[in-house]
Amino acid sequence: MSAHILTVDDSASIRMTTKIALTGAGYQVTEAVDGLDGLNKAKAGQFDLIVTDLNMPNMNGLSMIEALRKSAAHMGVPIIFLTTESDADMKSRAKAAGATGWITKPFDAEQLVKIAKKVLGK
Amino acid sequence: MTSLDPIQVFRTEAAELFEQIETGLLDLLNDLSDQATIDAVFRGLHTLKGSGSMFGFEALAAFTHHCETAFDRVRKGQVPATAELVAAVLDAQDHMKALVSTPNGDHEEASNRLLAALQAAAGEPSAHATVVAAPLPKAVAAEPSKTGGKGFRITFRLPVNAMANGTNPLGLLDELQELGSCTVKADLSTVPTLDALEPTDLHIGWTLDLITDKGRDAIDDVFIFVMDDMELTVTELAPPAPAAAQEASAAAAPAPVAEVAAKADAPKAQAADAKHGAKQAENVRVPAERLDELMDRVGELVIAQSRLSQLAGSSADIHLRAVSEDVERLSGELRDTMMVLRMVPVGSLFGRFRRLVHDLARETGKVIELETEGETTEVDKTVIERLADPLVHLVRNSVDHGLEPPDERVASGKEKTGRVILSARQSGGEVIITIKDDGRGVNRERVRAKAEASGLIQPGQMLTDQELLQLIFQPGFSTAAQVTNLSGRGVGMDVVKKTVEALRGIIDIRSEPGRGSEISLRIPLTLAIIDGLLVRVGSGSYVIPLSAVEECLELSLEDDLRSRGRSFISLRDNLVPFLRLRELFETGTPPDRYQKMVVISTGDERVGLVVDQIIGDHQTVIKSMSKLHHDVVTFSGATILGDGNVALILDVTHLVAVGQQQEAHLRAAG
Amino acid sequence: MNVETVKHAFDHVWNGQDELSVLTFSLNGETFAIEAINVQEILDLLPETRVPGAKPFVAGVINFRGRVIPIADLRRAFGMEATEATIDSRIVVVELTLDGEPCLVGIRTDKVHEVTTLPRSAGEPPPIVGMRWRPDFIHCLVRRGSDFVIIPNLEVIFSTQPARAAA
Repeated sequence: MSAHILTVDDSASIRMTTKIALTGAGYQVTEAVDGLDGLNKAKAGQFDLIVTDLNMPNMNGLSMIEALRKSAAHMGVPIIFLTTESDADMKSRAKAAGATGWITKPFDAEQLVKIAKKVLGK
Repeated sequence: MTSLDPIQVFRTEAAELFEQIETGLLDLLNDLSDQATIDAVFRGLHTLKGSGSMFGFEALAAFTHHCETAFDRVRKGQVPATAELVAAVLDAQDHMKALVSTPNGDHEEASNRLLAALQAAAGEPSAHATVVAAPLPKAVAAEPSKTGGKGFRITFRLPVNAMANGTNPLGLLDELQELGSCTVKADLSTVPTLDALEPTDLHIGWTLDLITDKGRDAIDDVFIFVMDDMELTVTELAPPAPAAAQEASAAAAPAPVAEVAAKADAPKAQAADAKHGAKQAENVRVPAERLDELMDRVGELVIAQSRLSQLAGSSADIHLRAVSEDVERLSGELRDTMMVLRMVPVGSLFGRFRRLVHDLARETGKVIELETEGETTEVDKTVIERLADPLVHLVRNSVDHGLEPPDERVASGKEKTGRVILSARQSGGEVIITIKDDGRGVNRERVRAKAEASGLIQPGQMLTDQELLQLIFQPGFSTAAQVTNLSGRGVGMDVVKKTVEALRGIIDIRSEPGRGSEISLRIPLTLAIIDGLLVRVGSGSYVIPLSAVEECLELSLEDDLRSRGRSFISLRDNLVPFLRLRELFETGTPPDRYQKMVVISTGDERVGLVVDQIIGDHQTVIKSMSKLHHDVVTFSGATILGDGNVALILDVTHLVAVGQQQEAHLRAAG
Repeated sequence: MNVETVKHAFDHVWNGQDELSVLTFSLNGETFAIEAINVQEILDLLPETRVPGAKPFVAGVINFRGRVIPIADLRRAFGMEATEATIDSRIVVVELTLDGEPCLVGIRTDKVHEVTTLPRSAGEPPPIVGMRWRPDFIHCLVRRGSDFVIIPNLEVIFSTQPARAAA
């Protein structure tokens, strides 16, 4: 069974690239279009990794991460966030909310897959 | 296949973001302090920058980054949102569109100019008002590893919530082991007693001795996501091999950082207000052509179903009849669902006019307020697409010719602000879109002079007010004494009228001198399937769109005879002209004994159509006529009947016009 | 119409090839050929719906697999007498390019013969004079035995539909 990854982004193009990269590396990918959608899908399914944008309508990534970490079922699921800000502020806020790691935009498929492998472990 | 190209997807997405940003900016003009809108605009710019950088639109990303920065200051309350700033961002947004459409064009000069304007408006020092189309910094690139195998002692302790937050310590150990050979020792000294143990907390620390040919950077990379919150000491061990690299620093990592209090400063979820929330409902994006294909299939199904109904109707088999009824119901429902799928709110069309009016106001120096009503009214998407250009022209026209300059308005006792009201509402099977202004109204003298000059009418020809107004829809007619920059562009009123008629719609104008004008478009909600009245003329079947049918009458033989040569019938004290379709279609057949008259109307004008027989209601899947029949104006399309034969659909607008002409001729003849 | 344009039409249809794959059919005793590649389907006669007001050359429409397409009568273009339909009558559905857009048209024929190959060597441009047909309506004549096969220039015929008065 390949790992199942949930990607959450309001940008269709980023979702598509992420999906192409991850499915290309053999992962199974489910997409969500914003934080709320992500939260609902995460709760409805079993995911090995969640890759999420932070800046999104309806529910931003930070709130989604917080909400997920509050539910016992999603403790321990790695959550990687996408960020364009290289400033420490956003990172520490996301980490404080419970994120596992991050990837800085722009990234390429290789970088994303590398990080997915890293947090998914063996 | 294009839909699988991320760049194409990005372009589509960028177009949506532009719309979102623009809507936000224009909303902001109404309430410059609306934080939710400011956030939405910021988010749009932010996403544009992020996605742009992902797909190689580097100039766009760099430029947008500066706009985002300026807007971020507004968001954080450091500078107030002002109309100038909004205008500057609107201009900048147009430039972004150019950066998306021609990413490799020479945009530097424009970029710099716009940014300077933007920064001036945002009260920023213009020191860094230059944009370099350089790529944004890439994610941390590992430095080339240092030479030789080195030994490190790594002691680390992850934050207590690391596991809960998705960090897998075993994964980190695996990664370290991949760097070289190592020995691992766990430190269990701080593990609490069982009763105090939270299973998700992490209390174990580790010490590793690692021999690796990679550098310190590689070790830091392993801990990259937890570095700031963990205790980590890395010390270089005495060289295990004779050759020692002395230059490496043995500096320990920064002092352990206290565990960050989780959730303490995390922001509260932004309560998405209902307005924004509704717009963001979960959507599936489907290429339009797939919808059209589906529509075709549904159309064929409806046709096949009506064949089945006919068969079943003439059969005694009750099982067949039952199935046929089921299929009829299902295909009807499917058709309705399909119709709904194709419906989009008019609001998506109205949105762009706010920008147009904003620009027009700046260009003309007029003070204009655009009001929109009924944005949620839904219309077939093809209708929306085709109406866009005509509506742009009508709105331009209202602003340009209708509304007066502020001082002229004040002089005539009006408010300084001119109003343009764009509204949509559904009425039966039609949507009625009106463009109304409170300007000076149509200048009849000028219309007449113009029409006479261009030979549209004879000098001094008697015309009703409505006929006079309708002249502005004639090809080549333009009321502007001088064609201004605004109305000179785009389509003319005749094209507007043609487009509306091609959509089987009707255009009407009302205008009161000094008070304003109102142009209304009545368009059928859908183009693909209509309810029709199936009639027989001679041996041919024809469909009359039911929405145009007012009533059906018997045409008694006496009436028929009496009206010979006059072709009028008295209907509730009104004389209604009528057309004998048998004659119009040259069927060469004798009339049926009991002919019927179908009275159809467009707006206020009516005409009777004499047919041989009324067959009944017919669900009509509209097929367009071939190019080779474009010269035939009597029919707007064709449809396929249950028996597989083709029936032509009457063009109501055309027939009413023919009837009215006939009336005019007869009137003229006395 | 001059020699040059006729020559051009001739070259156009052969397009540098030595052979042309065509469908042959007859109409009032003459044999016509249409490039096989343009032929979509051969149908038995279908009920036609007359389009009042249309030019006699394309006086009606049929239901071709759920699409409404016009039926053309080439006889009108070549000034031939109308004849009664027979048991051999067929409709040949062809795809034409008109004003840059594809357009399906049914062509009424008395009888469809075969798909065959015509050699360029037997072809010649239509004579400019001495023919009772408009030379620009014909791409090329191909000699077969003692007779000619006519390759009509459908694009020209359909874009200059004979007007009503000419009928």
